Amino acid sequence: MNDLYIGVDIGSVSINIVGLDDSKDMQFKLYKRNPGSPVEVVKEGLASLNKKLKDRFKIAGVGVTGSGRQLIGYILGADIVKNEITAHATATIEQVPDVRTIFEIGGQDSKLIVINNEIVTDFAMNTVCAAGTGSFLDHQAERLGVEIEEFGDLALQATKDVRIAGRCTVFAESDMISKQQYGFTKPEIINGLCEALVRNYFNNLVRGKELHPRFVFQGGVAANAGIKAAIEKEINDEVIIPDNHDVMGAIGIALLAQEEMREKDEPSSFKGFSITHDNFETSSFICEDCANECEVIRIQANGKTIAMTGDRCGKWASDPRDIDVKDETSA
Amino acid sequence: MKIGIPRSLLFFYYYPFWEELFKELGIKVVVSDQNNERIMNKGVKYSISEICVPMKVYVGQVLDLVEQGVDLVYVPRIVSIQKDVTICPKFLGLPDMIKYSLEGMENRVLTHKIEQESDDISNWKDYQIFLEIFDISKKELKRALKKASEKWQEYRAMHRKGFTSDQLLEDVKRTPDTGDLTIGVLGYVYNVYDKFVNMDLLGKLREMNVNIVTFEMIDDEVIQREVDQFAPRKKMFWEFSNKLLGAGYHFLKSDEIDGVIHVTAFGCGPDSILGPFLDIDSDKYDTPFMTLRIDEQTGESHLLTRVEAFVDLLRLQKTKEARKCEK
Ligand code: SF4
Ligand code: SF4
Repeated sequence: MNDLYIGVDIGSVSINIVGLDDSKDMQFKLYKRNPGSPVEVVKEGLASLNKKLKDRFKIAGVGVTGSGRQLIGYILGADIVKNEITAHATATIEQVPDVRTIFEIGGQDSKLIVINNEIVTDFAMNTVCAAGTGSFLDHQAERLGVEIEEFGDLALQATKDVRIAGRCTVFAESDMISKQQYGFTKPEIINGLCEALVRNYFNNLVRGKELHPRFVFQGGVAANAGIKAAIEKEINDEVIIPDNHDVMGAIGIALLAQEEMREKDEPSSFKGFSITHDNFETSSFICEDCANECEVIRIQANGKTIAMTGDRCGKWASDPRDIDVKDETSA
Repeated sequence: MKIGIPRSLLFFYYYPFWEELFKELGIKVVVSDQNNERIMNKGVKYSISEICVPMKVYVGQVLDLVEQGVDLVYVPRIVSIQKDVTICPKFLGLPDMIKYSLEGMENRVLTHKIEQESDDISNWKDYQIFLEIFDISKKELKRALKKASEKWQEYRAMHRKGFTSDQLLEDVKRTPDTGDLTIGVLGYVYNVYDKFVNMDLLGKLREMNVNIVTFEMIDDEVIQREVDQFAPRKKMFWEFSNKLLGAGYHFLKSDEIDGVIHVTAFGCGPDSILGPFLDIDSDKYDTPFMTLRIDEQTGESHLLTRVEAFVDLLRLQKTKEARKCEK
């Protein structure tokens, strides 16, 4: 039996799971967009991983990253739970050791990571403004009646430049409509949108920072050739799109799990595949013990409370328990 | 008579002074509750939307005191604590904002101008209205101010020994610094110590085994030297921004500080100028610098991710440097 390291990335628009073997080769990959319940997606994902690999591999380590990392980490019994900046950078450095700049544009957030000598030295994140993320494109693609997958290639067919005011999705929309009325073609408009997104990204995150090659572009939006071209135009240099650019977070956290286990010299704390049969339920209640009135989220496995979060004081998270609450809302 | 003091703005810098002053004058002081969801919501509801977050918190805190039934809320008009330098203009208009934008507050505010030449705000000339309001003699007032000044000096001396204000004002455990990392947390006291708005940043850092240094711990001369170097002929900023500027450059240059987190409130004018200077110069001194912008709806997971990633970055750099030295 060989060792397998599982990496799970719980993002807001996609959930990704990968399995890496000892020599860091990918044995399993799952990219799931717009997942409903993270817990269910993870359960299904792990079940299919198990089915595919159980004869050859045993689980040697599990890592969880992404904005929903705490709860899933708890449910899985993860060996390591880390933020997505560290995870993403780890994966990129593994593939492109001399990377200095990572542009990462995902469906709902975007990041800039600056690296020197294989170490993160600076980063910026945007989770507030949609105009610098993939959801900007999704939205406009829908308006134009173009499939998001075709979006990028269409942009490359543009023969003229048209500037779309894209500071904000709302402005972009009205500007786009008027440019259409002036008679610009669809590819030109789309190209203008790609450039607007990149401009937003640079305004929000780069903000005049000096960037050095090599440049890597990753995240869900990296598949879009129009955006790649717009970035290259902006920096006047070439960008590399790494293999598996859409699951870099999961790869990174799997690598970190591997490193962790090497140092720890203990078996993995993974709770095992039996969790794929457990019944998890998420609910929330308002704690009225103080004026903060936190919405406390709790996770139950087969009717028993196993984790709680969302409390500002930590009194629930540190001691999850079954309680009776009246104004409970099932989530 | 019960006087209310809002737990906000310069409370975190001057509370020991005010507490002692009123105690000496025999007046009962009530401090508003720690900032929380309810207070914040009230503050947001009754302030103009464009104003910076700390001012909104202050409004909420004032309303909380009124609910607690105080007779007067103490809202001094702090104009300056340095010769020829005022503090952020928002403070200058604060008593008026409270009096005239909140219903029923016009006659419930105790205010007077503080316009002094040093951080020690005990010069009696600014407190003359106390003579009549509290029916005390000049001698009594001067004695109380002297006591207040002594208390406050003690408080400042504790800062210089390495204690943060939350450790001194609240019962935050005072453990010796045992962390393997030291971060300069740069920000106005009301942003650094408002646990509610900043999602308990200091607590999170301490949990990650990080030592914390704040501007209050740095000697005035060191701060002044940096400020003078930055702009030899010009006074750049308002007073507390100057303190942050001086402390910030000191942090960037100091070997004892591994990284700097600038905590800034959404809507803060002075910080939008101060922040970029430090950020751009941080490269020169090879000290990582991160801006943490907080507002009334900061998401906890977002903040935690950034803080965690920053701490990871500093730790990795440190181990790498250590390895280099071993070779
Ligand atoms: S969870 Fe804690 S902070 Fe939140 S309302 Fe209850 S007691 Fe207050
Ligand atoms: S310095 Fe900034 S945060 Fe403080 S009162 Fe002025 S604008 Fe508000």
